[in-house]
Amino acid sequence: MGFYLLKRLGLAFAVICAVVLVLFSLLYLIPGDPATIALGPRASPEAIARYAERMHLDEPIWRQFLIFIGNALTGDLGVDVFSERSVTTIVGERLGFTLALVGLGMGWAMTLGIPLGCLAAVRPNSWLDRVTGVLSVSTIAVPSFLVSIWALLIFAVHLRWLPAIGAGEPGDVVDQLRHLILPAFAIGLSWVGYLARMVRASMLEVMGETYIRSARAFGLAPRRVVFGYALRVAILPTITLIGMGFGGLISSTVFAEIIFARPGIGKLIFDAVMARNFPIVQGGVLVATGLYILVVLISDLLIAWFDPRVRESL
Amino acid sequence: MAKDTGTGAGAGEILLDIRDLSLDFRTPRGRVKALRNVSFPVRKNRVIGIVGESGSGKSTILWSILGLLAKNAEVTGGEIRFEDRDLLHASEPQLRAVRGEEISVVFQDPMTSQIPVLTYARQMRDILYRRPNVSVAEKRRMAVEMLAKVGIPDPEKRIDQYPHHFSGGMRQRAGIAMALLTGPKLLLADEPTTALDVTMEAQIIHLLQDLQKELDATVVLVSHNLGLIAELCDDVVVMYAGEVVEAGEVREIFHSPQHPYTRALLECDPARIDDVSRKLPVIPGDIPDLTKPRAGCIFAPRCQRVQEICRTEKPPRVARSPVNMARCHLLAGPAHDPDWPPDPSVITVGRGVEADATTHKVPAEQTLLEVSDLNVQFETVGRISAWLKGLETRHVDAVLDVSLTVRPGETVGLVGESGSGKTTLGRSVLNLVAGQAGSVRFEGQEIRAMPEARFKPLRRDMAMMFQDPVGSLSPRKSVRALITEPFLIHGITGVDLDAEAERLADMVRLPKPFLSRYPHELSGGQARRVGVARALALNPKLIIADEPTAGLDVSVQGEILNLMADLQAEHGLGYLIITHNLPVVRHIADRLAIMYLGRIVEEGRTDAVFAHPVHPYTRALVEGVPQPDPDRRRVHVSISGEVPSLLNRPKGCDFAGRCPIAQDRCRAEKPAHVTMPDGRRHACHFPLT
Ligand code: SF4
Ligand code: SF4
Repeated sequence: MGFYLLKRLGLAFAVICAVVLVLFSLLYLIPGDPATIALGPRASPEAIARYAERMHLDEPIWRQFLIFIGNALTGDLGVDVFSERSVTTIVGERLGFTLALVGLGMGWAMTLGIPLGCLAAVRPNSWLDRVTGVLSVSTIAVPSFLVSIWALLIFAVHLRWLPAIGAGEPGDVVDQLRHLILPAFAIGLSWVGYLARMVRASMLEVMGETYIRSARAFGLAPRRVVFGYALRVAILPTITLIGMGFGGLISSTVFAEIIFARPGIGKLIFDAVMARNFPIVQGGVLVATGLYILVVLISDLLIAWFDPRVRESL
Repeated sequence: MAKDTGTGAGAGEILLDIRDLSLDFRTPRGRVKALRNVSFPVRKNRVIGIVGESGSGKSTILWSILGLLAKNAEVTGGEIRFEDRDLLHASEPQLRAVRGEEISVVFQDPMTSQIPVLTYARQMRDILYRRPNVSVAEKRRMAVEMLAKVGIPDPEKRIDQYPHHFSGGMRQRAGIAMALLTGPKLLLADEPTTALDVTMEAQIIHLLQDLQKELDATVVLVSHNLGLIAELCDDVVVMYAGEVVEAGEVREIFHSPQHPYTRALLECDPARIDDVSRKLPVIPGDIPDLTKPRAGCIFAPRCQRVQEICRTEKPPRVARSPVNMARCHLLAGPAHDPDWPPDPSVITVGRGVEADATTHKVPAEQTLLEVSDLNVQFETVGRISAWLKGLETRHVDAVLDVSLTVRPGETVGLVGESGSGKTTLGRSVLNLVAGQAGSVRFEGQEIRAMPEARFKPLRRDMAMMFQDPVGSLSPRKSVRALITEPFLIHGITGVDLDAEAERLADMVRLPKPFLSRYPHELSGGQARRVGVARALALNPKLIIADEPTAGLDVSVQGEILNLMADLQAEHGLGYLIITHNLPVVRHIADRLAIMYLGRIVEEGRTDAVFAHPVHPYTRALVEGVPQPDPDRRRVHVSISGEVPSLLNRPKGCDFAGRCPIAQDRCRAEKPAHVTMPDGRRHACHFPLT
């Protein structure tokens, strides 16, 4: 187990290095002076000089790379070109918003999608199964930005049930929650479909296993058989899917964040790319990658927790 | 365990009564009439065996008792009375109250019938869920007690383990403990030993016998294994194609079977045939298509004694006593034959085409395959983790010091339980796994660790027959394509594939129209013949057959074995047969090699090995086979314990931990291979005399 964690952490480090390498090479692949590229053509010579120094632009590129990695490991992701605030602080401020959005989005998708998939699998070809089937395909097919726009138009603009933009008053939890509902709905919707399909497929397989028949032959109640036995095995592949989806959502919430004008990592990176605010892009992508790796690791550990055979092979 | 209640009228109180049960399965091919008017009583405190081949409906009966039939099943008539209730028409909650509480089940394959992600403690507590006023601690105590009762050592600790921590035999013990936990009135057992190795099977049979005696339980045992039925049952019901053809007290069924099918079934069982001729009796034909209604006797198409009346009129139920009955026109009515059934020494079924017991050939002197001192190791841990954990060896010896020869025209049986290394040995002969030391010679040429490019032409001379023919055949290819595939694999051109396909089909006696069928349209025996044809396609000299009859019904396995014997006589093939099935190998092998934990512990002529095993393990195997004769119920004690893991191979004799005659020397020193004057070889310090 300790050996396994060590291996995974080593792997995570390698992935992060590779991501940083790509980010670095982008900066140098674009023709022209990196500082000018980073700060834009209208930057003052002083700013460029200051930037060049802070980024160690006079050093050979591999040293710059090592310096960056070293700093990143100590939590220093550099300094924002414009506001000169620490990138770590800026990313940190936005991270909470993204995590809340992704968490709520995935959360409601799970609470709806997993039971739907289960029920559909327990009664294949019933009306519930058919409705679930149609629902999954259609929610998967519709891109989340379209859902965002429609949700915004209907619930915020037309019905005026919910606020349209922003993240809500700082400190006012109820207001912040109200602002979360529409974007969370938008990014979670297609996941309801994914999860229902996935859970249905693996449940159908598991329900055909001999040990499910045994459980029924011992007279266990159907609810216990479905949720206590079958789901416990069928959920395993779904956990991996959720882990990857969670990680992916951290950066792909960008549409929802733009449309609902919410602060967040996705929007932060997007704006930084537009403004050529290179340190922010670098810091943001790095944190998103790190989170992604972390979530996938957690999901693997969760599987190990659920499945003793996996646990012992670690 | 048979309590001599005799065959007196209505002996014993009836606990479960199946009356006129009829059941259909709705399939795309139409309604399969899987059970038709099945009736028999289950008497209290007795063990009743339902015996039949695949498709006989024996398991379907079991699931209908529990009300857990497949969704496409439809009961069309009858009732199942359990005490005062009718289970067939009970509501789901009523049935749920019965399942696991009053009627419990021991399942066939403990590897798949126990959920892998829950501990035994949790699984067993769940079974006791209907007892809200019993505390969790009390439930645990009950479970631990039951595990101890079925012979699981250290149950306090092991109850917190998961099924995969248990070996096959231990899992089945745990399965029995789960079934008995609630103290059910009726125990159903569905092929409870089929998935187990011989020595484990013997242990489980003993356990069931002891428990039944102790608890005075009522048991319904479903099995195709006549030996198991004879060992355990008081009463027997014989099923064929969804009908009860005969029922009665166990001695009557085994000693004086009345129905031609029962008779044939017993004659086909290799365990019952003492004369070791190379030809086994077979029941020709296949089980009938149950989607079509059939007038007359269901067994008529395969019956050797079929009469005119059999094809048109249902045979009468002829009862010899209140508990013994059979359905056959020979027993009563216009077609009554007073000379039926004939003396037990008469064989009533054929021995297949070309029934010729004299093709006993003398193996040639030169050797075809010669394995000497072969060692095969498997890596168990990666280099880095071994280094981290400070392990010295990273290998286990899957095959250790194995020497074996096969001559042209000779059949060598390689016998062992799972984990004995027999399959690995077979694979290393085919160069599919590389041996680390020793030599494997094929026609004098060293082939161990030969590069694949050089080995490929040799592979044409050696063919593998796989265990699971349908699984190993591509489902989208026709039989014609399948049996000529070896030509394509080996890039052989310039042959007329259609002519070859017909030649091969002819060789394995597969009728021409089958060439355009697909694997799923074949019966077990036919698929097996396709496997034989494929193996023969390139005229090999050596055939390695992995469990050639596994999963086949007794009545057809003889067909495959006879076919293999004929082909050998014709083409001088050498066979290496890898199996755990002793009765079968006894009839086909000239020589036997018994493997235990990667080593050959005994090797010699088959008849000699069976008549007089020298190694204690061989004796345990030979005696462990359940005998299909209720008068020959085992008297000896089965060997205890289990095969040790390869990871901790004992220092001395590998068998020392289980050997009934082990001495100190056995635990200290590994016995070397010794050749006896009669050419037999063994590895034992104290061979049996
Ligand atoms: S009734 Fe006729 S066909 Fe059926 S088993 Fe008896 S003799 Fe054979
Ligand atoms: S060497 Fe000893 S322990 Fe091994 S089989 Fe012979 S008698 Fe038994």
